[in-house]
Amino acid sequence: MEWNMTLNEPGRVCLMQGNEAIVRGAVEAGIHFAASYPGSPSSQILGMLGKIARERNFYAQWATNEVCALEACIGTSLANARSICIVKQNGLLCTADALHCGAQHGVKGGLVIITSDDPSAHSSTNEFDSRFMAMSADLPMLEPTSMQEAKDMVPYAFELSERYRQMVIIRLTTRVCHGRGNVTLGELPETTRPLRPVGEWDRLVCVSYRHMPMLETLDSLQEAFEVCPYNHYSGPEQPKKLIVAGGTGRLYAQEALHRLGLEDEIGLLSLASLWPLPERRIVQYLQHAEEVLTLEEVDPFLERNLQAIAGSHRFTIRFAGRGDGALPRVGELTPDLVAEAVSALAGRPLPTRRDETQPPLLERDLNFCAGCPHRATFHILRRVLRREKNPGIVVGDIGCYIMSGQEAGHYAYQACNCMGSGINLAEGLGQLTAYGLDQKVVTMCGDSTFYHSILPGLINARYHDSNMLLLVLDNSATAMTGFQPHPGTGITAMGDDVPPMEIRPICEAMGCKVAEADPFQVEETESLMAELLSQPGLKVLILRQPCATLKSKSRRAKLRVYVDQDKCFGDGCGCDRFCSRVWGCPGNSWDFAKNKAVIDPVSCVGCGVCAKLCPAGAIVVEGGEEQ
Amino acid sequence: MLSTYALDSQVIQKGLCTGCGACQGLCPYWGSVRGRTVCYYDCERSDGRCQRFCPRMPTDLAALRQKAFPGETILPELGPYRALYLARAADGTVRAGAQHGGTVTALVELALREGVIDGALLSRARGTLEPAGEIVTDPAEVRRCSGSSFQIPPTLAALNCALQENTLRRIGVVGTPCKTLAVCKMRCDPLPENGNHAENIALVIGLFCGWGLDWDGMQALTERCTPSGAAHVDILPSKYHSMELTDGAGRVTPVDLDEVLPLVRPACRACADMTAEFADLSVGGGRSADGWDVDKQWNQIIVRTKRGEELLELAKRRGVLEFKDLPDTALDKLKRASLGKKRTAVRTLQEAEGGLGYLTPAADELRQLGLL
Repeated sequence: MEWNMTLNEPGRVCLMQGNEAIVRGAVEAGIHFAASYPGSPSSQILGMLGKIARERNFYAQWATNEVCALEACIGTSLANARSICIVKQNGLLCTADALHCGAQHGVKGGLVIITSDDPSAHSSTNEFDSRFMAMSADLPMLEPTSMQEAKDMVPYAFELSERYRQMVIIRLTTRVCHGRGNVTLGELPETTRPLRPVGEWDRLVCVSYRHMPMLETLDSLQEAFEVCPYNHYSGPEQPKKLIVAGGTGRLYAQEALHRLGLEDEIGLLSLASLWPLPERRIVQYLQHAEEVLTLEEVDPFLERNLQAIAGSHRFTIRFAGRGDGALPRVGELTPDLVAEAVSALAGRPLPTRRDETQPPLLERDLNFCAGCPHRATFHILRRVLRREKNPGIVVGDIGCYIMSGQEAGHYAYQACNCMGSGINLAEGLGQLTAYGLDQKVVTMCGDSTFYHSILPGLINARYHDSNMLLLVLDNSATAMTGFQPHPGTGITAMGDDVPPMEIRPICEAMGCKVAEADPFQVEETESLMAELLSQPGLKVLILRQPCATLKSKSRRAKLRVYVDQDKCFGDGCGCDRFCSRVWGCPGNSWDFAKNKAVIDPVSCVGCGVCAKLCPAGAIVVEGGEEQ
Repeated sequence: MLSTYALDSQVIQKGLCTGCGACQGLCPYWGSVRGRTVCYYDCERSDGRCQRFCPRMPTDLAALRQKAFPGETILPELGPYRALYLARAADGTVRAGAQHGGTVTALVELALREGVIDGALLSRARGTLEPAGEIVTDPAEVRRCSGSSFQIPPTLAALNCALQENTLRRIGVVGTPCKTLAVCKMRCDPLPENGNHAENIALVIGLFCGWGLDWDGMQALTERCTPSGAAHVDILPSKYHSMELTDGAGRVTPVDLDEVLPLVRPACRACADMTAEFADLSVGGGRSADGWDVDKQWNQIIVRTKRGEELLELAKRRGVLEFKDLPDTALDKLKRASLGKKRTAVRTLQEAEGGLGYLTPAADELRQLGLL
């Protein structure tokens, strides 16, 4: 959809995803610099920016992590560049120190941070409400409700940023990122604004005496937000019943009010300026209200702040929302949940829907793709640890391999914190092995995570020689978020080929004991892993096998894999459906009529590992390209 | 109950696993590491060879005995019994590498040579450590498996693999009592849907066994006491209260039994079989009035079946074994020793489980022996 991104036809209406709308907004704002680390639901933004960066004369980078990305943006701001930094909610948390220090010293060129929250944690380990980061750092935050607003809000945020010399955060949520809507294109700048040389006395320095000016900036922003064009109100002038919505809550509320025919009875105040809150605008509607329903994603942020405002004005209002049980405390808002809450607010029954008898979808566990090297890795790890006298300790990390904590990886790990934490949790446990903890300690990271946040932990573990094994699951991809380049891939966001930074020499330069293996060579890798685990101190095992999805894109002829039905033990003693039940690859299927294993030729990518593990030697691999 | 869960909960978690290997070599679910039986994944079958063959799953021993030894005289203390001999390998070179009199080595060599069996399941150790099951088809290879390590390797895993291959049709098995019981269960109680070719087991030679030792503990003990490595290990008669480690140069290091006893596999304390009652022939250390220095060159042999008798007759005819007279008290002494092990097993199980555990189906015969 890149044509929409650089099309200079103001007024033309295009169907756009929210992520695309942000890209278009950034281009219309004339950015000089963009940096991001991939994270769902906003991973696509920088990928698209990278593709059009040359054409639009700006620089785009997949940074090694979110801290690098934000700090690089702060650096460019010193030269009056307009910079955009894109992160997900966990990524924003990673930047906390830079964010708080940056808020104190402010910016020169406009700096807009796009953060995408993932309510219900569809593609995250946890829900987090990034509005608290804005509140904590005293930074302004906006949240769009539609694709059009997502696009328009980017140039608006840059204008605010430069007028108030402060970073501006735009909060998105999954439905805005991934939903599609009509967007009327604005004008593209002919050229990007010239950069300004950094003067001898230019300063972006975080010092404590900047605290007060920062608060004064926030006060000024509050004034600006009193007339923010993206805050909307509809309904009676003096509503007794009021809905206050942030983000997607506005659209859900509109739908519910329409369904119930309550548009003229209940007020709907939609707030795009989430921090600082426009108190006078809010009080204008709050002062008449007896009941207020707050619609917002993740935490009762608005609800609590509205209660504070109501309290300071001595209003008597009954509040409903996520905080008081009118809506679930966790998980994403849905039109149905909102409709029920609005119906309860109005005291009117909800009209039944016509079509409510859809067959439920089959529930399936998350699983590794067919031919995924991680499946082999966690099979090997399981066997190696089962061989230990005392059960081992496994610490997980963030990437596709997080699924190893479920059936896909035989419930591999006992602990998993945030991205890059595995090495450090394991480091601590590894030290305890000298204090009576008689268990082997293993942790893991992917190649992208290795660069993102493992390195300082690895230095710590190496320097203190923790007794542990780090598995680097090198599948040559940031697979979980969609194959974005990282420093090991030899390619950049703008498509340039560069020398890759290999993991092994990095580890060796730290003085780590490093070994490499191919997880598809199951027996050899099992022996090597067991051998490494028996050695004291810090060990690194790089398990190298490209992501199956990457490989299937490039392979020309597929191997033919099939089950010799005469040899297959089926569910008999000696097998009990080992391939489909335990190994669990989507390519290994089961013929219920014959009680025999079969290969699903559509799913199977021909990795051939199941053939090595079949106890009956019944799986045959034929032809095609060699691995 | 799931097969793997049944074995795990009833045998392994209770410390009853002997490490015999009967559950292994059959499927991807069971394996063994340094004497420890390991379950890699759960099997969801409710019945399987692993739990049928396991010598520590509850078994009606009397019924099994009737099935396996029809018409044989059963001595309550010793199992099937035809005769007791004191014998040894006539060939001194066999005795030199053997644990005691070299009787088992000589009999297995003979059985392979004469075609009584076409393969023998033996245990081979490195020095006295890390023994592993091995199928031997060449009589000249048998001597490499002489001697005991006092560890219990999962020998039967190799048997299961050989049976599954179904190329050897007359396999002879040499093993400790737990293994001979498992082999008897393989033959008499196969899984109906998969008999695992147990009919290819042609001969079972049992080894007397008091207990086996933990692999890691034994290795640590050996490394401490004979840093150059032990070539031979022996437990002296009880009055000596000693184990002897002999290195490659023949230097003998005595080790107080108090250092050894903590290394005994807990499962062995719950074993009620000293003389390998489910074998065709059972062989152990010699005991006579001549004293240990003489006895350690001899073996006692219990003949239990016609098959065993025929092999012993063949050995006599071929002059492979030499015999000497047994003292009159020999049988009674053996019965007392056997009864002693049964008593320990009953006590161990009662203390641990408040009942007889896997020996519950054998309660009647234990009562008849005065052990309950």
